Amino acid sequence: MTRTYDAIVIGAGHNGLCLAAYLQRAGLSTVVIERRHEEGGGTNTEEPVLPGYRHNMHAQYMEFFDIMPMIRDFGLETLGLRTIKPEAQAGIAFADGRPPVILHRPDLLDRTHASIARYSKADADIYVELKHRAIALEQLFAAGLYSIPQVAGFDAQGEMLTAAFGDLGVGPQFILKSPKHVIDEFFETPELRALLYRTCVEWGYPIDGQGLGAGFLLFVMWTLGNWKLVRGGTHGLAKAMTQACYREGVDLIENMMVDRVLVEDGRVVGVATRSGEIRATKVVASNADLRQTLLDMVGAENLSDHWVKRARAYRYGPSHVLGTPCFCLYEEPHYTSARWDDDIDRCFYTMVGFDGPEDTVRYIRDAYMGRLPKPAAGTWVNSLWDESQAPPRRHAATGWYFLPSASALTTDEWTEVRETFNEKFLDVWHESAPNMTRDNVIAHKLYTPDQMERKNLMREGDFSNGEFAPDQLGANRPFPEASNYRTEIAGLYLCGPSAYPGGGVHAACGYNAYKAIAEDLDLPSPVLADRGY
Amino acid sequence: MRNAYDAIVIGAGHNGLTLGAYLARSGLEVLVLERRHEEGGGLCTEELTLAGFLHNVHANYHTFVDLAPPVHDLDVRGHGVEYVRPEVQMASIYDDGTALTIHTDLDKTCASIARFSEQDADTFRRLYSEAHGYVDLLLGTLMYQPPMSVKELTKALATFGVEDRSEFLSVKLRRETINQFLDQHFTNDKVKAHLAFHGAVCAYTNDVPGLAIGFPLLIGKIDNWHLCIGGSHRLAHALWRDLAQHGGVMISDADVRSIVVDRGRAVGVRLVDGTEISARKLVASTVSVEQTFLEFLEPSAVPEELHSRVKNDVKHKDWSLFSVHLAMTALPAYVAAEFDPDVDRAWVVNLGYGSLEELNADFAAVRAGRLPDPKPNAAVNSLYDPTDAPPGCATGLLRQFAPFAIAGGGEGEWESMGRWYGHRCIDAWRKYAPNLTDDVILDWVPYTPLEIAQKLPNMVRGDWMMGEVSLANMLDQRPLPELGQYRTPVEALYMAGSTQHPHGFITFGPAYNALQVIADDLALDAWWRQV
Amino acid sequence: MADIYSTAWYEGVRDAMNARVATMTDLPKGVLHIKVEIYGDGISPYIEEDVERNFLIRIADGHCDWYREVDGDDTSVKLDYRFRGPATIFDEIAAGLQDPIDAALHGTVKVRGDMRFLMRQAEHVSVLLDAYAHGVQTTWPLGRPPYAAEHKEALGA
Repeated sequence: MTRTYDAIVIGAGHNGLCLAAYLQRAGLSTVVIERRHEEGGGTNTEEPVLPGYRHNMHAQYMEFFDIMPMIRDFGLETLGLRTIKPEAQAGIAFADGRPPVILHRPDLLDRTHASIARYSKADADIYVELKHRAIALEQLFAAGLYSIPQVAGFDAQGEMLTAAFGDLGVGPQFILKSPKHVIDEFFETPELRALLYRTCVEWGYPIDGQGLGAGFLLFVMWTLGNWKLVRGGTHGLAKAMTQACYREGVDLIENMMVDRVLVEDGRVVGVATRSGEIRATKVVASNADLRQTLLDMVGAENLSDHWVKRARAYRYGPSHVLGTPCFCLYEEPHYTSARWDDDIDRCFYTMVGFDGPEDTVRYIRDAYMGRLPKPAAGTWVNSLWDESQAPPRRHAATGWYFLPSASALTTDEWTEVRETFNEKFLDVWHESAPNMTRDNVIAHKLYTPDQMERKNLMREGDFSNGEFAPDQLGANRPFPEASNYRTEIAGLYLCGPSAYPGGGVHAACGYNAYKAIAEDLDLPSPVLADRGY
Repeated sequence: MRNAYDAIVIGAGHNGLTLGAYLARSGLEVLVLERRHEEGGGLCTEELTLAGFLHNVHANYHTFVDLAPPVHDLDVRGHGVEYVRPEVQMASIYDDGTALTIHTDLDKTCASIARFSEQDADTFRRLYSEAHGYVDLLLGTLMYQPPMSVKELTKALATFGVEDRSEFLSVKLRRETINQFLDQHFTNDKVKAHLAFHGAVCAYTNDVPGLAIGFPLLIGKIDNWHLCIGGSHRLAHALWRDLAQHGGVMISDADVRSIVVDRGRAVGVRLVDGTEISARKLVASTVSVEQTFLEFLEPSAVPEELHSRVKNDVKHKDWSLFSVHLAMTALPAYVAAEFDPDVDRAWVVNLGYGSLEELNADFAAVRAGRLPDPKPNAAVNSLYDPTDAPPGCATGLLRQFAPFAIAGGGEGEWESMGRWYGHRCIDAWRKYAPNLTDDVILDWVPYTPLEIAQKLPNMVRGDWMMGEVSLANMLDQRPLPELGQYRTPVEALYMAGSTQHPHGFITFGPAYNALQVIADDLALDAWWRQV
Repeated sequence: MADIYSTAWYEGVRDAMNARVATMTDLPKGVLHIKVEIYGDGISPYIEEDVERNFLIRIADGHCDWYREVDGDDTSVKLDYRFRGPATIFDEIAAGLQDPIDAALHGTVKVRGDMRFLMRQAEHVSVLLDAYAHGVQTTWPLGRPPYAAEHKEALGA
């Protein structure tokens, strides 16, 4: 028996869930079809090592929750979403025990100032100033994030930058700079540079990426200090979103791979799965990655040559290719740098193994070139704030390595990485945190890009489903003709991170896809007057 | 979450979700609280080895899906749960290369048994046919209503003359072991061993007096094991969805610290993070008696005698399970397939128990805290589930009867012995399926009895049945006589988890039966009672 | 003497039940409605194949108030029990050839409802069943069970 819905959403990642909830609320009978046995995609928390130790396998920190429309529109906080926002947000610790650099929440900028000023008062001043500017731009930023991207010419962008930062010497030429250029131009302290480089990489900006420098000022500076953890693990967001979908009446089918998107006369009519066809009368939206959607599911035979060419040219990695180490610990790490500022022992996010900016640069260049870097990581010990994430008096630590794209290493090489890389990192960790000995580690495991590719079909292990580069960002994502979430197949939309704005837990891909669909089908607008987007 | 609901259910295992969904469908505002980050309790499916390999960490076999009323009432299949009933349900492979297979086709099963003993095949056919006649009536009677006492039951069976009307069901079985039953009716050691093994896998240990009474019913369901496609956790999602679609809320990572009692009545719960939520009509606990009465309730709220009985008298299983989860690139190819090709299609395979004595000896060893030479049973879900492993690959699950506490060192020993014992279990499997070489096994992880208790603390001491299965701990005596009818000495506090009658396993029974009691107390319209 | 499934026969069953319980003590209090669903199995001549006949029995304080044939879709009464089975089996029970408890144990007659009550009132239930099976002198205008032996197999009895 063929089932028929108004709308089919392919993939129950958080963007797919977001879109489905809005579609169902707008009156469209909606089904989400998920290949895995769990909803949430990259908002995924598991007990991969030992019972009771929670590890977020992909998404770690949540910077968009205060501006994410779905949280309020669907009352996710009444459905179980609870967050914690630690005071000390991001820090870098050093093997020689010199002072850490610590960035705090925006309401605690005086503490951040004091931390940076230990090295340079000028850097501290400019950091605080840039942070204030970013906060002032938040509404603009949020409105941009949660809208279908508009093509903005070089001149318009330059004008905007000049208006916001002109008095600090910023002009249109900053658009062409790399993040490294911009950071180096504003900050002199090597320790701070090392930290900021890494935060750019996490946002998805290669530090040498020409044409991404302005993004550091506009986006990365905004994100710093805005990180929340989800109580119980990132998957708590997916749970609350799923519960919202259930309550709206969305149907959700798990363990069901969509093999084909069915197209008749240039219009999408449904999908084919192992248990038969599921028809859609109005919409099919794909949260899957671009090439999977267009080339594997729709098929070249249903596309114009131009779209096939575009899809084939779309690039994955090396940005946003992660390895996630998971450690079960007796004690949380105690850093030598804590003798200067014990906040480093209570940082939400702590960088370990980068002794200076050169280390960060070398590390990331190695990873991007497909070479295994010298181990270093950003680390989280979420059990410091949330006792549910580890057994009593124990700790669960998770980290992010940036690693080469999945195809850069062979299967056997990845197996070896899984067996050895954590151990090497532990040696490095021990240098800055003497209690991080082998004896302090109860067990550990490393989740590698090849596994991410297999688990979530994140091609190359790239959690953004597509490289972050100027020609694949903004109104160019995934390519200009597809940047408004629509495709050349009538009724088929993109709603995953291959679309603007890309990877990250903002649900903007799903929210904006809803906007596009709402325009096309004359559905209610999700924009609220007081929110403005 | 809000600060008040009509009903608060502690624990989002299948019983907690089931009770919550029924109450939500009855118009109550329901909150189900779960300590873990995932709902489902024993309905737990994780990628323990490698990405794309789905392992059922706890419940793997669903035997009551056609009998349990909630499957129908809560539209479990409508919520996307797909069940498969494997054609070759189980097998035993013996040391001499012979094998016995249990099929969904009775004739095939009897033909397999006949290769060992024609007489036993005839007996099995009579036993199965007799049991098949009454199994649904009796299990429905026994499992899906609040329990009667053994005395009441035996009296009714006597009045109805059941004993005279059946060859195998007898009141005297309430004093006998499954071993005795098998010795009385069957002749061949291997046939007996397989049937005893089947009982043991259902937690009906073959040497425990009294459990023979349930054995004909086990045989009546011997070919009714169902596999949940995509992992057992799918069922948890379905139940959660039913709850949520009817206005209920499930909150994970919500660790209950205490049940709030006001003048003898349960009025809410307090979470570990300090949140207090009130319950207007009831609180139901689906977690262990120990947690409920010793941790969640102030001693002053619990009668002194009950307090001490919970401390001292709650009976737990005296053996647990050691598991190995494997990611493989091939299905096992058994040497014994030369004898019976169907072993290669058997969902669950007993590897090596060939006589009751061997089973007895291993249970004796396990009870003494010793690890037996592994004779694990191997389940390969991928034989029947195309979604549980990447194309061309398979999952494997080895389970070995094992002690919770290891003699001389206690349960902590498992931390260092898990991999060693796991290796031995895999070696034992290879003896029968030599194709499972190192290069076929991509990855494997042990899952020890200690980990069972760590992951799901209500499985006290790795007791996956949440209470011993014995006559003394059955029906209205389970888990203690004063708690046997789902009510507790605290007004508006109910017990609705697997500590209660009937027992653990995916039965839905505790929740369904607690619902009947709650419905009576709250005068709910029992829409589900469809005669 | 009454023809099977005739009004007189129902009344006979009722009277037989009441006569048998007259001497009993400890009769269960309250009202019970029991529906008996008998479907044609192609063997019994009294109910055509694919046709179903439904009977409703009302027991009050242990006595049978009435016993009557009803429309299958009648939902006016809240049922406590439902007995369902093929006509041949019910015919044989009425003829005293088949034991009703055996039929339940063999699963040929399906029983639904709160089994606790049936178990606790086992004695009373046995008496009522005996009245059904042996209490009425039944006549069989279309032939009397047992029907041809080969049909037994088909019923799986």
